[in-house]
Amino acid sequence: MKSRYEIILSGVGGQGLVVGGTILGEAATMFENLNSTLTTSYGVETRGTFTKSDVIISKDEIFFPEVVEEDFVLALAQVSYDKYAKLINENCILVYDCNSIDPVDHLKARQYGFPITDAAREIGNIATANIISLGLIVKMTGVVSVESVTNVLKEQFSKKPKIYEMNLNAFNKGLEMAEQL
Amino acid sequence: MTKKQDIRFIQGNVAMVEGAIAAGARFYAGYPITPSSEVAEASSIRLPQEDGLYVQMEDEIASIAAIIGASASGKKSYTATSGPGFSLMQENLGVAIMAEVPCVIINVQRSGPSTGLATKPAQGDFLQSRWGTHGDHGIIVLSPSTVQDCFDLMIDAFNYAEKYRTPVIFLADEIVGHIREKVVIREVDENEIINRAQPDCEPEEYKPFNHTENGVAPLAPFGDKYVVRLSGSTHDERGFPCSRPDNADKFIRHYTDKIEKNYKDIVKVRKYNLEDVDITLVAFGGSTRSALEAMNMARKEGKKVGVLQLVTLWPFPEDEVIDALINSKAVIVPEMNLGQMIREVKRLNDFNTVVQGVNRIDSMAITPKEILDKIAEVENESSRIFG
Repeated sequence: MKSRYEIILSGVGGQGLVVGGTILGEAATMFENLNSTLTTSYGVETRGTFTKSDVIISKDEIFFPEVVEEDFVLALAQVSYDKYAKLINENCILVYDCNSIDPVDHLKARQYGFPITDAAREIGNIATANIISLGLIVKMTGVVSVESVTNVLKEQFSKKPKIYEMNLNAFNKGLEMAEQL
Repeated sequence: MTKKQDIRFIQGNVAMVEGAIAAGARFYAGYPITPSSEVAEASSIRLPQEDGLYVQMEDEIASIAAIIGASASGKKSYTATSGPGFSLMQENLGVAIMAEVPCVIINVQRSGPSTGLATKPAQGDFLQSRWGTHGDHGIIVLSPSTVQDCFDLMIDAFNYAEKYRTPVIFLADEIVGHIREKVVIREVDENEIINRAQPDCEPEEYKPFNHTENGVAPLAPFGDKYVVRLSGSTHDERGFPCSRPDNADKFIRHYTDKIEKNYKDIVKVRKYNLEDVDITLVAFGGSTRSALEAMNMARKEGKKVGVLQLVTLWPFPEDEVIDALINSKAVIVPEMNLGQMIREVKRLNDFNTVVQGVNRIDSMAITPKEILDKIAEVENESSRIFG
């Protein structure tokens, strides 16, 4: 892994992107002795408008906490896809939800569409799209280990067995989907 | 015995609450406002677990009134707000200064004026935190730049409040309040905690404002055996209103002197690579993070750049800033306002040092690149002076 890895999780308010970023940050800081920051940008509306989370994971201390050069962008809504697709460079991986986003061709970045919304419905709750996405990110980047994320899920949800199981299924689903690349 | 440590990945706002509880705070009254709302939320959960009390008030005027009352009753108290709420608190902030009641007021700065951009950062309350309430007074203002600061520095905030019987402003910003990063929530040794002095005289002899040469009078809690008169009106040692000019002179000087004369105890700065510098970046709060990143980038280019972080903003760290002005060819002040802290830096600049700002007021954090560009610009402009 690079010494500093910069991830953008983007979509619209209510999709659980902050939760997703927090799980990544917890995995990095609490289980891998790495540094991590999570900053978010959102509007005054609670739901439905553009939002993004910047996750930085680094071996070194992190001062400026905003993403400067994206290594990975997740887009869960058309508005966020449109915002980032043409900006990012060839070293960046762009993952988008092909159930809700019409992609454009000829990007500099390597882009991969996954049926994230369909997979979340299959899991039984559309709100698990963020956790499925975590599985994709972890498998495709190796920025943190599968075990560290599983540990965080266990700590957060183990008191609610059904929710824990659903989130674990969602995470594993994301890992599987990335495996099939 | 090793103390317990708890490593967590949480927001600055949440760490502030843990810091307040570690410092002994057990009362919060407030009115939630972005970007400080997580302070209220976390307080509402955590204080009842610690035998404390959380009250949601009808507005910010009532919020600060409630924490003054709770503190006068003996509980360490705090509130949290942002720009519009901080403006509403100014009158009662003066009451806390005049009555010398310890308390901590958290202001997580957002873009203003007025409602402004509620979810976006700014550092536009730097001067308001010093001069927002009317009349001559001293004030202690601390500013965190990391989530760890939000915990550790909050303990200092309460200690200063108790030691000097004064409100302390904890001047955060949206960047620091909302960032999540690693923090060590440590078990705090009781020797680290300062509690206000208590009287040991006979009740009839107690005077709540009978200050000593080097310290403030003990503050008994309301409802105890001592009669405590606290007032926003100019008062004498007993707390009775008093309009004698010599009394007014004595007490108004006291409000400033008790802070300013303890400069060395109160002023905290952090120095990064200042042993050998051409250019010093003087920064506070969230902008410190941009400055440190810029410093590292500049050092990689072989440029002698250092950072002076002002952790205490008021009293203004004049000695340390003067050192920076003397030891640097140029001082650059990045701040998310149109130039509030730079006024203080320029006021101290009797040394013909180049002083320039990097300012942003568009709700976006100052980027390290912008500071690097300013460094290059200052170098070019000053090449004649620098030689």
